[in-house]
Amino acid sequence: MGEVILQMKLIDKSFPGVHALDHVDFSLKRGEVHALMGENGAGKSTLMKVLTGIYTKDSGSIIFEGKEVEFHNTHHAQEAGIVIVHQELNMIGDLTVAQNIFIGREFKKGFMIDDRKMIEESKKLFNELHIDIDPRARMSDLTVGKQQMCEIAKAISHKAKVIIFDEPSAALTEKEIEDLFAIIRDLRKQNLGIIYISHRMDEIKVITDRVTVMRDGSYVGTLITNDCTKEDIINMMVGRVIYEEPKTHSMVPKDAPVVLKVEHLNAGKMVQDVSFELRKGEILGFSGLMGAGRTETARALFGADPKQGGSIYINGEKVTINSPEDAVRHGIGYLSEDRKRFGIVVQKTITENSTLAALENYMAGLFINKSAEKDVTVRYIRELDTKTPGPEQLVVNLSGGNQQKVVIAKWLVRNCDILIFDEPTRGIDVGAKNEIYKLMNRLASEGKSIIMISSEMTEILRMSDRIIVMCEGRKTGEIAIEEATQEAIMDKATRDIK
Amino acid sequence: MKSFKNNPIVKKLGFNRIILFCILLLMYGVFSILIPGFAGMARIMSIFNYVYFLGFLALGVTFVIATGGIDFSIGPVMFCCALMAGYSMNTYGAPVIVSILMSIAIGLCFGTFNGYLVAFVGVPPFIVSMATMNIAKGLGSVFTQTQSVSWPQGNDPSGKGWFRGLVKIGDIPTGLILFAVAVVILFFVMNNTKAGRYILCLGSNKEAVRLSGVNVRKWQMLAYVICGTMAGIAAIFFVSAYTTVQPGLGDTYNNEAIASCVMGGTSMAGGLASIGGTVIGVFVISLLQEGIMAMRMTKEVQMIITGLIVIVFVYADVSARRRKS
Repeated sequence: MGEVILQMKLIDKSFPGVHALDHVDFSLKRGEVHALMGENGAGKSTLMKVLTGIYTKDSGSIIFEGKEVEFHNTHHAQEAGIVIVHQELNMIGDLTVAQNIFIGREFKKGFMIDDRKMIEESKKLFNELHIDIDPRARMSDLTVGKQQMCEIAKAISHKAKVIIFDEPSAALTEKEIEDLFAIIRDLRKQNLGIIYISHRMDEIKVITDRVTVMRDGSYVGTLITNDCTKEDIINMMVGRVIYEEPKTHSMVPKDAPVVLKVEHLNAGKMVQDVSFELRKGEILGFSGLMGAGRTETARALFGADPKQGGSIYINGEKVTINSPEDAVRHGIGYLSEDRKRFGIVVQKTITENSTLAALENYMAGLFINKSAEKDVTVRYIRELDTKTPGPEQLVVNLSGGNQQKVVIAKWLVRNCDILIFDEPTRGIDVGAKNEIYKLMNRLASEGKSIIMISSEMTEILRMSDRIIVMCEGRKTGEIAIEEATQEAIMDKATRDIK
Repeated sequence: MKSFKNNPIVKKLGFNRIILFCILLLMYGVFSILIPGFAGMARIMSIFNYVYFLGFLALGVTFVIATGGIDFSIGPVMFCCALMAGYSMNTYGAPVIVSILMSIAIGLCFGTFNGYLVAFVGVPPFIVSMATMNIAKGLGSVFTQTQSVSWPQGNDPSGKGWFRGLVKIGDIPTGLILFAVAVVILFFVMNNTKAGRYILCLGSNKEAVRLSGVNVRKWQMLAYVICGTMAGIAAIFFVSAYTTVQPGLGDTYNNEAIASCVMGGTSMAGGLASIGGTVIGVFVISLLQEGIMAMRMTKEVQMIITGLIVIVFVYADVSARRRKS
């Protein structure tokens, strides 16, 4: 390891309602691979976005190669030598590998693009990295792993001094990960500084030199990888402080009937052989890290995405769910994690949103019974304590918490017995959060059954009667609330060496 | 100004629609001053003739635009309906009533075809309607062997001219009554039925509506079916007023119908539609066409103006949305 190439000091960044980064420190040396870890929402990505100029910091300083810098966009950062390799690949499938690598800075011969030179240069790059890819191949013909290699080659071709890998291994196979590590080791030898963001504990142990842990937008500490254990890192990630009292025992009666049974559900790569049961009046927590397949499981169950196999039983009866229409007919309601895209029609009124799933119950012959519709909307505004001047308010004008209540009202108007809450408190402030929690508890005590997907450990521990943990598309654990601890969940949510 | 905007009656009618209505009156005033002999019943009847067929086209396409889609085929579809139905009457001796029903049926078929491709197959509306536009033009020409078709005059000895009573009986503009009936029905369809509710909501956020358990494809397709059927009805009013239809034409009316919608406050982005606004828009376009003809300018001048109108109003809509978000 060489001298420090990059230093971020007391970086502070706030968004409306969220203190995303609270005076965070981070330093990177030449020739080291430095892991950046933390739960979802800990601030890792925000920190990297501040570094590469996507966000502007509120205060603090970035010192790169001894000079204070401030980048205004990724292009600017790239020119200085800081490059990010994103989790989602930014490649154009119909262009060749070489065309992708040199996109935006093509070699020219007069007015013409000099394809031959781009191919030669790509070959040189690949040789340096010991990658075996034909630069003339079409990008979409390559595997995800190979595409990732191209992304890295592109990064290197920018004369990068610092490369940030944002969960590079999420979509790779074992073999591809090995190849990736070989490249990273190579880059380390060439004295580049590498920041490696990953949730995979085993990878951190294999490839990194140091680990910096963040939690809730704050810097927690930095460890030398060889001197610490997985447990050390997990302890730093979850912290020992629990802000809210966790549930101590399940509220579900012992003899509560099973209302929903899912067996061997398969849908794409992200849902592999998932089975579980949900009982009447239960809040079943789904925990796991980003990309664990929880939302995908919910969407497949709800019929929003196609599934490849599996059986679903509702109240003991086998049902076929091929579309959200089927799911709603069987009494399932789904609150999406992305409220604005999948939950509400923002340009429409609270009334129109509230009855969207149950309009047939508010018809008088051919016409919509607008007064009945208004009555039920007003009733749920009152019951859920939605803050609005009236039922005719456009949903776009409501706050996040109140929008969420409108979505909940939609499913209550439909009288759904099984509710899937996907990240119910995302983007909602603390006060509204508590209200949503209270509401969920009330619904459960009234006999509704709830599946709650959450990335917040405290939320999972506070709300769930039972917890299912997922990791990489599989169910990796089922924990009764009495035995649940943050450490136990995190252990099952992170991948282990086989 | 602000208090005027917030007045409950103004809110109900829509501020923009009131302004558009004022523009309509102002235009009529200006034309009457500039063009000698413009004011008077004869012109107004002539404007009404244009309003009838353009009105049905525009009302239909309002539903498609409400879903966030577009239909560029309505003008040629209208002509295709008029050509095929008229040719059947003139050449194969089909009774008038059969021809009228045939026209509506052909429009319905085109609408179903467009709607199926857009909603179930997933072809972008722009592409579908461009293709259908050419199919309609071609079909009309092939069916009639590229000859223009004339529908019977009112005083036709065979008595076949009775259908002209749909538009005018003596000096009574009966067409206006039928148009008003259609407006009222479609107003209720848009604002008070399941179909209208789902069409507007899916135009705003299709995925959210689908995830609410609604069969969005069905309702999206229905918008195109309504639109096509309206084009079939528009064809009857067109021939009632203008008698002769030529093959291979009709596309200018697409733009005029779409211009009427966007002027009236229907958003090209989908989700927002105003039947009342479309009606005022239709009157504005019809008045404009009459005024331009009266000034002895050509149809081409009007095409330039309607083109500009579409751009201006779409820009206004887009920038209003941007300000809001």
